[in-house]
Amino acid sequence: MNIFLCEDTIEGIFTAVYDAWASRLGHANVKLQVRGETMELFASCHEVETDISKAEKVARTIQREMGKKGWEQISRAALSTKQERADAIYRVLILALSAKKTTEEKQVSQSDKSRSSDRYGRDEMYRTYWTYRKKSADCLTQIQNPNVCLVMELARSVWNETHRYMGFVRFRELQGGILFSEIEPENHILPLLGAHFADRFPREAFLIADRTHREVLVHKADDLWRIIKDVPFEAGGFGNRKISGREAEFEHLWRGFCSSISIKERENPQLQRQLWPYKFRKWMTEGQNDW
Amino acid sequence: MVITQELDLYQKLEILSDAAKYDVACTSSGVDRSGSGGGIGNCMAPGICHTFSADGRCISLLKILFTNECIFDCRYCINRRSNDTLRTSFTPEEICTLTMEFYRRNYIEGLFLSSGVLHTPEYTMNELYQTLYLLRRKYQFEGYIHVKVIPGAPDELVSRIGFLADRVSVNLELPTADGLKLLAPHKTRQRILEPMRQIQIMRQADKELLPIRKEEGERDGRLFLTERDEKRQDFMGISENEADSTKQLPKDFYQLQERCMKNSLSLRRLPRFVPAGQSTQMIVGATAESDFQIISVAESLYRKFDLKRVFYSAFVRVNEDSLLPDLPGGPPLKREHRLYQADWLMRYYGFEANELLSEKRPNFNSLLDPKCDWALAHLECFPVEVNRADYYTLLRVPGIGPKSARRIVQARRMGRLDFQDLKKAGVVLKRAVYFITCSGRQMYPLKMNEDFILHNLQSVQAGGGSHYAGPITYRQLSLFDQVG
Repeated sequence: MNIFLCEDTIEGIFTAVYDAWASRLGHANVKLQVRGETMELFASCHEVETDISKAEKVARTIQREMGKKGWEQISRAALSTKQERADAIYRVLILALSAKKTTEEKQVSQSDKSRSSDRYGRDEMYRTYWTYRKKSADCLTQIQNPNVCLVMELARSVWNETHRYMGFVRFRELQGGILFSEIEPENHILPLLGAHFADRFPREAFLIADRTHREVLVHKADDLWRIIKDVPFEAGGFGNRKISGREAEFEHLWRGFCSSISIKERENPQLQRQLWPYKFRKWMTEGQNDW
Repeated sequence: MVITQELDLYQKLEILSDAAKYDVACTSSGVDRSGSGGGIGNCMAPGICHTFSADGRCISLLKILFTNECIFDCRYCINRRSNDTLRTSFTPEEICTLTMEFYRRNYIEGLFLSSGVLHTPEYTMNELYQTLYLLRRKYQFEGYIHVKVIPGAPDELVSRIGFLADRVSVNLELPTADGLKLLAPHKTRQRILEPMRQIQIMRQADKELLPIRKEEGERDGRLFLTERDEKRQDFMGISENEADSTKQLPKDFYQLQERCMKNSLSLRRLPRFVPAGQSTQMIVGATAESDFQIISVAESLYRKFDLKRVFYSAFVRVNEDSLLPDLPGGPPLKREHRLYQADWLMRYYGFEANELLSEKRPNFNSLLDPKCDWALAHLECFPVEVNRADYYTLLRVPGIGPKSARRIVQARRMGRLDFQDLKKAGVVLKRAVYFITCSGRQMYPLKMNEDFILHNLQSVQAGGGSHYAGPITYRQLSLFDQVG
């Protein structure tokens, strides 16, 4: 058994996929692991050095062969933190890339393009708005397979966390008009958040700090977003340094709004806690108790 | 007595958001629009919840009234003319500042703008239109806007506002015309349904233009037109003559669009008309309608007016009035919950109103949700074989929803499904075991007996512990049981 040890990042995993596949040792003899796990007896370990060009090649292949939705599932699963994801992704890719494209699939994709109707229309109840257009991505529906199941679950949990953070990220304006935010997510969701917020605020300069993984997402006005890794963080948070003068006024307005919008006769703190857990409230202005 | 004083922004926001809170529409969903690069904002189709208020409802939009002054005297409303409350009003600039600054800090997805009626419906709608125009054109806001139409507003204002907003609503207030006459005599059913019909017709015409507007792979709902689109329009020969031939299209639809375009500053693209659709709201519990009447009204709204959502608001007694019912147990929250469950069944599961309820059974069972209720009344349809049944039959099983049904249908092409696989697909086995088989086998030997299943389902709902509650030791009696 040959074990390929890689870095705990999406680039590391894709490089390991490239190396394991290119090593031509045979898929059954190969296993991918993220560095830091316990070693197996009677196995030879290969250290994988993260190479961006190899990772990009793998990414392009996935996008081409599995389509946009297939790529979404695999990349989101790779952004999670579970140790077994590297091997699961490898097995799923083997399954996907061995599926053969038929002429029927080519005809279907032509007719799909002429459809112009609303994707979320009510008269399309059966239209699975999440169909995989490529035959190779069909293997992702095979939940009987434990690897596919793991990839699906990880992708779902990463996206659920990202979707929640899209709402729970709170920016504070610093002097100079820069927007700053701190979050503590479980998974590596900064790339997904970056795509969303860069589209939303193209002309704003903003920073989103990921305290768990010590990374910072940086976006300059009218520029691309970037992630900086291995940033030192303080325990207490960024605090109030360099906050702009008007920030206090708008925070005050927002908190007042949140409290006046609630209907007293329907108050339900249990429901509120279920939908808005305490762990998110730490870095949100209306979740603080000191106002 | 109406007192108007100069209030600061915080006080105004407090009063006007407090007055707006009974408008329960809160979603920011339905539009998938990416930013254009020059403005600020985008929209996500599923909508994003930014925080949750103390009553558990999602806050995703800045929900405010433009003004809480009102000429109408609806008995259930806190802003009625005869109430002695502090009245105030925003200016369009103040609303724009609030919206933009909150949006920048990611507090909200967009704006929800409603209003009490100041002077006349036309005057108020014009004020709302000015606000939206400022927000879209001057501040380049591309986020979500949900605006409420005042019943009795003129057609032209409604269509102008439709090009600026993402979702437009007209509140139905009460399910039947009689209820409306009793509690809100100034609003007639006619004046509420007219704008709904107009919006529906214009949205239909807008959808027909969709092929020339949307490019391959693009998210829908672009706010503007490019030069290329204009050339394509000329090439395809779309002109004012075409407008007359389309069925039921108002004759000046294209002229309206042109006028809107010419009125704007630097417009490059053609805006869409109300891309997220329309919705409405009904108050539940203020009048004596049955649940069957309410969901029949909702069903006909969905079919005939092409609505996206109907919201049900549990009646909260804010005014002392002889015509309003006493609520000894508080607002009817359980009833509202059952109505939402029925609403989901009608929209996503293919149920019809007369399948769920009837004249003989006009109200929902408070112990069981409507889907389990239907399943127990129709045990002849079960058990369903998971590996063979079609999608719509799978949807009827309690514990299987659209996502699970889709996963099952996709996965079983690859091989047989077992109960473990069903669990991975997201099926709630605690409820579904009584109704399904996998390859002909049930998960445990269970009786297809109404009392037995009811007993177990109720213990699932109550305790949520083990999903087999043991043999029946008692039977739920009802006053209407036929004994002997």
